[in-house]
Amino acid sequence: MVETGLIDAVAQGLVTGSIIAAGALGLSLVYSIAEVPNFAHGDMLTVGAYLALALNNPSEIPFVPNAVALPFAVAAVGAVVVAGVFGGIYEKAVFARFRDKDADLITMVIVSLGLALFLQNLVLFLAGSANVTYDTVRRVNVNVDVYATGSGLGVELTQRAGADLATLDAWGYGWLAVVAVLAVAVAAGVAVYRWRSADTGYERVHFVSPRVLAVATTLAVAAGGAALTRGGTVATSNPAFSTRIGVSWKYGAILAVMLATMLCMNYVLKRTKTGRAMRATADDQSLARVRGVDIDRVQLVVWVLAAVLAAIAGVLLGWYASNLNPNMGFNLLLPVFAAVIVGGIDSPYGAALGGLLVGLSMDVGVYLLPAEFATYRTAIAFVILVAVLLVTPEGLWGDA
Amino acid sequence: MALADFLVSLLTVVSVYTLFGLGLNIKYGFTGLVDFGHVLYFMTGAYVTVVVTLPVAATSYEGIGGFALPQLLSGVPLGGLLAWFVAIFVAMVVAALLSLLVGVPTLRLREDYLAITALGIATILHTVVNDERWLFNGPFGVRDVHQPLAEAFPVSLGSFLVNLAVFGLVSVLVLAYIGYRVGDYVYGVDLRAAAMAAAAAVLVVAGLGAAALGGALVLGGVLVAVAGVVVLARGIGRADGFGRPLALFTALVFVAWHFGTPFFTAGPSGVLASAVWLFDPTAGADGGFTYGRFVLLVAVSFVAVAYWWCERTVNSPYGRVLRSIREDEDVPEALGKRTFRYKVQSMMFGSALAAAAGGLWATHIAFIDPTQFIADITFFAFTAVIIGGAANNRGVVVGTAVFWTLHTGTRFLNDYFPTEYATQLAALRVMLIGVLLMVILYYRSEGLLGEQTYDTGVAAEEGGRSE
Amino acid sequence: MVAVSDPILEVDGVEKYFGGITALDGASFDVESGITGLIGPNGAGKSTMFDCITGFRDPDGGSVWFRGEDVTGDSPSAVANRGVVRTFQIPHELPEMTVRENLALAPRDQRGESLVASWARGDGYYEDEQRAQRRAVEAAERFEISHVLDTPAGELSGGQRKLLELARALLTEPDLVLLDEPLAGVNPTLEERILDHIQTLAAEGYSFLFIEHDIDVIMEHCQEVIVMHQGRVLMRGEPEAVRTDDRVVDAYLGGDAE
Ligand SMILES: Nc1ncnc2c1ncn2[C@@H]1O[C@H](COP(=O)(O)OP(=O)(O)OP(=O)(O)O)[C@@H](O)[C@H]1O
Ligand SMILES: [Mg+2]
Repeated sequence: MVETGLIDAVAQGLVTGSIIAAGALGLSLVYSIAEVPNFAHGDMLTVGAYLALALNNPSEIPFVPNAVALPFAVAAVGAVVVAGVFGGIYEKAVFARFRDKDADLITMVIVSLGLALFLQNLVLFLAGSANVTYDTVRRVNVNVDVYATGSGLGVELTQRAGADLATLDAWGYGWLAVVAVLAVAVAAGVAVYRWRSADTGYERVHFVSPRVLAVATTLAVAAGGAALTRGGTVATSNPAFSTRIGVSWKYGAILAVMLATMLCMNYVLKRTKTGRAMRATADDQSLARVRGVDIDRVQLVVWVLAAVLAAIAGVLLGWYASNLNPNMGFNLLLPVFAAVIVGGIDSPYGAALGGLLVGLSMDVGVYLLPAEFATYRTAIAFVILVAVLLVTPEGLWGDA
Repeated sequence: MALADFLVSLLTVVSVYTLFGLGLNIKYGFTGLVDFGHVLYFMTGAYVTVVVTLPVAATSYEGIGGFALPQLLSGVPLGGLLAWFVAIFVAMVVAALLSLLVGVPTLRLREDYLAITALGIATILHTVVNDERWLFNGPFGVRDVHQPLAEAFPVSLGSFLVNLAVFGLVSVLVLAYIGYRVGDYVYGVDLRAAAMAAAAAVLVVAGLGAAALGGALVLGGVLVAVAGVVVLARGIGRADGFGRPLALFTALVFVAWHFGTPFFTAGPSGVLASAVWLFDPTAGADGGFTYGRFVLLVAVSFVAVAYWWCERTVNSPYGRVLRSIREDEDVPEALGKRTFRYKVQSMMFGSALAAAAGGLWATHIAFIDPTQFIADITFFAFTAVIIGGAANNRGVVVGTAVFWTLHTGTRFLNDYFPTEYATQLAALRVMLIGVLLMVILYYRSEGLLGEQTYDTGVAAEEGGRSE
Repeated sequence: MVAVSDPILEVDGVEKYFGGITALDGASFDVESGITGLIGPNGAGKSTMFDCITGFRDPDGGSVWFRGEDVTGDSPSAVANRGVVRTFQIPHELPEMTVRENLALAPRDQRGESLVASWARGDGYYEDEQRAQRRAVEAAERFEISHVLDTPAGELSGGQRKLLELARALLTEPDLVLLDEPLAGVNPTLEERILDHIQTLAAEGYSFLFIEHDIDVIMEHCQEVIVMHQGRVLMRGEPEAVRTDDRVVDAYLGGDAE
């Protein structure tokens, strides 16, 4: 019998991590540019998730007429757009006013706490405390079973069909092929890194950092190589090692959406005028103002983007967990903060990476710990947070 | 429930949370530490107090303890009470030590990092208490809370009339004293503002009264009450300060509520019952002084002692260093003060007060479980402290009273809606609290009273003692 | 003045980096008693040097010695308690506390500053507090801010803040006072007054290391001058020698020293 193992936990962790990363990216923008340690950020996730629910499955919400029920994807997009408008409202109705009064950091913390109480209970007021779900097409998960044997690596795709497990497909690789593909993939990654970083100068801003590009290349080449060198089945009766990875199109979709989101954000930050204005504001607000940056506009954009990112994270979180409740976002606040602080609050890229790291640690940690510790997933994020703060109070990837 | 019982219970809750808020004010108001995990020490205090006094092998309890302190001390006169005081003391020490453990790594951090890590620790320890049955019985909570001297209550002095006379006299004297103090304060009020405050009180009381009759009157009543609030706001605009008209308004509404409502529901005897509120005619054969009123007395004494203690702490060179840390930590450091030590001590002192509040809470409520110690309790305390005015001990009393009166007072609305809307109403209340917090910080960040003034006990000019 | 005196402060090869920026690049100098000036162009690392001496920043290399004892990496309060107190380039008044409280905070070893003593108010509590209050009033009179004693410090003018900062530092009775541009943004009359104070205090036995951009002030008031440039000490000597030194002139004219 094949069991799920570490690799499965890593896969889950990647999905969790990318959701946290989206939350963390938004929070880090608000943190560094608006200078608000936003305790309402978790609840902004919740609001996004419930907006999609209102469009997708309105029968779950007492006060919404049951008229339109959009497909999930459409509802999600609609929710993200509406959430963006909400983001503008948070800025105009609340934070811009306090900024004009030169409110200090502690005041901003407490103001955002007030907003958090408001949003969380607004959701509770409108939607009640019951656990609800989106109305989506359910598909059965596929298991990827991997076997390591003397003759090579065997792969089987299985799927639950009624009471038993149906095998969908099976194939294998010789060890030589495995080593060759890995070697080529790593070599390709290194080559890409060399090539992209050769012309690094002080002035040059890479659209995608060479390191990220190198990792992506390695993964792509490995996947391509695996497809090309795919061989016949390998005898899997008595493997030296076997593991099961549960995958679903949901995971794939979440990862794809996150990747697309990150690329879009990257584009906004690096290639648009607004993005440059945002980074200038993050560096030094008064200097940016002197240079003619329209601070109010920048702040508005920041809050809209943060709310949009939070809504994306919230919708995906509700979908991933097949469950929405008014506390869902607040419960994720700690991991999101941990991600931002791990990544260094001034670095959106650090925050995204921190999100992945925190998500991975949470799921892998829960896998490694005894079963009764499963309720302490958040505690793992917290331990990372404190450890990082104790070692380097500025975060792991400070913006140096 | 008679009105007087409701008042007693409300005052007890206000006292408990005032004690809790005084602890928070030491941390946040005077030292500038944003401890979003303050409820952790409240929870610690409640559980430690309860477990120390819990009988061994209490039924349906699977946590550690009980340590049966009252039974151990049963030979000593008033052993039950003594055991309770010892338990509160132990709880305060445990909470102080816990906050030391929390504080040593986190108090070196920036204020925003402190806020998130403190919230994190409190959340996680709350999860631990909720999920680990071996610790304090997990989600099932603890019954069998030791209530010292409970067996002696209700206290009766022999006959109904004697009870009525003695306890009634005390009640009336208390009311009269409060009335005198309020009157003395309000006395200099601008006449037009006073008239408007009185008109506002009439409108609000009439409006709420109409709303309470239910049906179609609800909407009209609420509108009239809102009109009353508008009149009050205008009246305050006329006066040179908002304190006196507001106090007058509050006093009038209280009198209307406390004496007017029973007059309509129960006639003159209802008014009498409200006047002698410390006396419960339904307790025991001859009526008497109930245990709930005793707990209120204890809680008020705790607040009095803690208030004095906090005042003494902040009205000293020590308090001056705390405030300098709040303003700019670099300055006391540069002048040779070891600020980290001060922050740790402030944290420990504030947490110990929170723990005492927790112990009182458990005694008052007689059953504790983790749902009573959610993060919102911390946030409510922040709101209360900010309403009254951070760095003002009197402000904590005022703010907590305002906050919990509004919070509890609006519970009567539940009666007019179907029970399935209870969650909705609770949510609405917290929503409004969130808005209130933002509105106060925007329009009046110093709260009702503003920061207090200080006196280290030495008259500044002459260099002599000011006492 | 004693001809050969032991230096009270020794700075030995101190380095400090901020990410890619080198703020201090192995700076070394000695400070003897009396008034020493520290000059150098903007960004030379003067304020960072103060931070490293007083423990507000840990140097990345090198060491700091005060009266023969290693104080490198000590906390700011520990350094202050050895007798080195500093002021900040941008005054750090405590805005919501009155001037009186700002000043009364400063004297060291007040018995009422311990938690238990604030409760017990036993031996010495009132004596110490009376002394602190009296000294606060005296300092305010000396620095001519006694008319604003009961004003919140946040409402003071820029010059008054400078005076408050200086008065507060001196109330700790330090051996060595590090002043970071005490004259910047101060009007000429006030400037004269502050300089007179410093002279008087130096005569009373205080030592000063002070950062100043006005070379004439340095000439007139300092026995020794240290010149910093790009994180290093360019030279150290008598004011007259410094003024005529080519390297110093180059540095101030923006030319390259090397
Ligand atoms: N917190 C910091 N982060 C990054 N760089 C810093 C920081 N503080 C100082 N620097 C840099 O270190 C160098 C030295 O700065 P410092 O403030 O010590 O100069 P200074 O000699 O006091 O200049 P000025 O005369 O303008 O006060 C400068 O290049 C400055 O930009
Ligand atoms: Mg400087």
